Amino acid sequence: MSVFLEVVGLHAGYGPVEVLHGLDLTVGEAEVVVVLGANGAGKTTLMRAVSGTIGRRGSVVLAGHDITRASPDRIVRAGLAQVPQGRGTFVDLTVDENLRIGGYTRPDDISGDLDRWYDVFPRLTDRRAQKAGSLSGGEQQMLAIARALMSRPKLLLCDEPSLGLAPLIVKELFGILHRLNEEEGLAVLLVEQNANLAMDIADRAYLLETGRIVTSGDAETIRSDDAIRQAYLGY
Amino acid sequence: MERFLQYLFDGLSQGSVYAFLALGLVIIYRGSGHLNFAQGEMAMISTFLAWWLADGGVGLWPAVAISATVAFVLAMGVERYIIRPIAHRSPFAVVVAAIGLFLGLNALAPFIWKVTIPEAFGSLFPDAADDFVRIGGAEWRLENIGVLAVLAVTSFLLYLLFQRTRFGLAMRAVATNRESAPLVGIRAGQVLAVSWGLAAAVGAVGGALVGSLRGNVDSSMMFTIFFAATAAATLGGYDSLLGAVFGGLVLGVFENMVAGYLPDLVGQELKGVVSLLVILGVLLVKPSGLFGSQRVERV
Repeated sequence: MSVFLEVVGLHAGYGPVEVLHGLDLTVGEAEVVVVLGANGAGKTTLMRAVSGTIGRRGSVVLAGHDITRASPDRIVRAGLAQVPQGRGTFVDLTVDENLRIGGYTRPDDISGDLDRWYDVFPRLTDRRAQKAGSLSGGEQQMLAIARALMSRPKLLLCDEPSLGLAPLIVKELFGILHRLNEEEGLAVLLVEQNANLAMDIADRAYLLETGRIVTSGDAETIRSDDAIRQAYLGY
Repeated sequence: MERFLQYLFDGLSQGSVYAFLALGLVIIYRGSGHLNFAQGEMAMISTFLAWWLADGGVGLWPAVAISATVAFVLAMGVERYIIRPIAHRSPFAVVVAAIGLFLGLNALAPFIWKVTIPEAFGSLFPDAADDFVRIGGAEWRLENIGVLAVLAVTSFLLYLLFQRTRFGLAMRAVATNRESAPLVGIRAGQVLAVSWGLAAAVGAVGGALVGSLRGNVDSSMMFTIFFAATAAATLGGYDSLLGAVFGGLVLGVFENMVAGYLPDLVGQELKGVVSLLVILGVLLVKPSGLFGSQRVERV
């Protein structure tokens, strides 16, 4: 499997506070990679650093292009879309407008994509003309994912998509992510507290502790490690 | 009834002028959360440019169009090279910069054009003594109708821009969630620069209307109008374009009614106080304004 995203020696943080202390990570084409870690390990910071929304040092290469110094909007155009923690919904825009703005970088006609994501997320269809802020948490999460997919990314970054959602909706969401990965070859970099579900669809996993990668390996190996299982998977 | 209509007609045209500046304030505020104290002075200096062009033989309407275009470009530069570099430091830095801009532009107009007394500005509309339509006994002057019509056209164009174009959608996206905008590939900086340009262009048209109604241009022409416009934007809600138009018109009419019906108590001199009372009242009763959004978000 060829590497799609390659992160080497990544340092990032907020102002004088460094959160990530030089970590390496790769995501292959059409691969689902999960980052496990306790609260405060730096998972969200990692996502922000990769998508370029906070300052970073090191090297980030996407599909062979160095994007370390690229602005977030350029990175979106390069094929990487982020679903931020808390969803980042445009609450005053309608559901339809949220999806349209998701396709902002596309010069071509996006109506086909709109129909397609309404098909995949039928709950959104009923709410098309409604303000996004009036949606339930689960619906907003679906909207955030659909919005990110409107840019036709090759790699989707998902930060805690299950946060605050009912278990059934979480299952549905992961089912959809899994399907997109299998059918479309969408690569996914996933940060998730709900580690069991995430590991179900993962090819590989990284374990993040206080800003450093301490373990990595394919999903099966990680799952069978007793210490990791007890600490992060909880059984 | 005749008196009422007269105050209404006069108030609507005064209110339209407020609405123009209020629109400028709201366009910038929505995108960045900045209150542009220089909005009035930007309009003033644009009006001087239109006056200078017209004085040099360009038709008055083309002169206004040119000054609005120049204002658009220059204001984009102001955002890019003055506001943006300091915006991330603190909101106060922007306030101070905008006040500096206010003072600078106010001094710049007399400096560039070497004028110290008000200069004659032509009328954009027919304004002879008998250019009016009589409705219910009151005279609705054509120039007052014209000002209202220009406001209607401008509002409609802004509506089309914001509701019907891709870039307008991006501008609204930045207004509702600036952090998320880059995540969908929007260049927030570009949107903010265009917001400033747009606000300045709308202000330039408003300034020309003021010049046309007054019959002259002067470096202090926008002072009271700017404060009335802040009151109008407060009344309508600082993040609502519709609110800016509505707030401007209501304030203009209200001011005229109060001054007209209570000539001894308020009169023409004190009518500016009405704006102040409106600001106070709105902030006490409904701080988000009539059309402003009170953010309710589900988590």
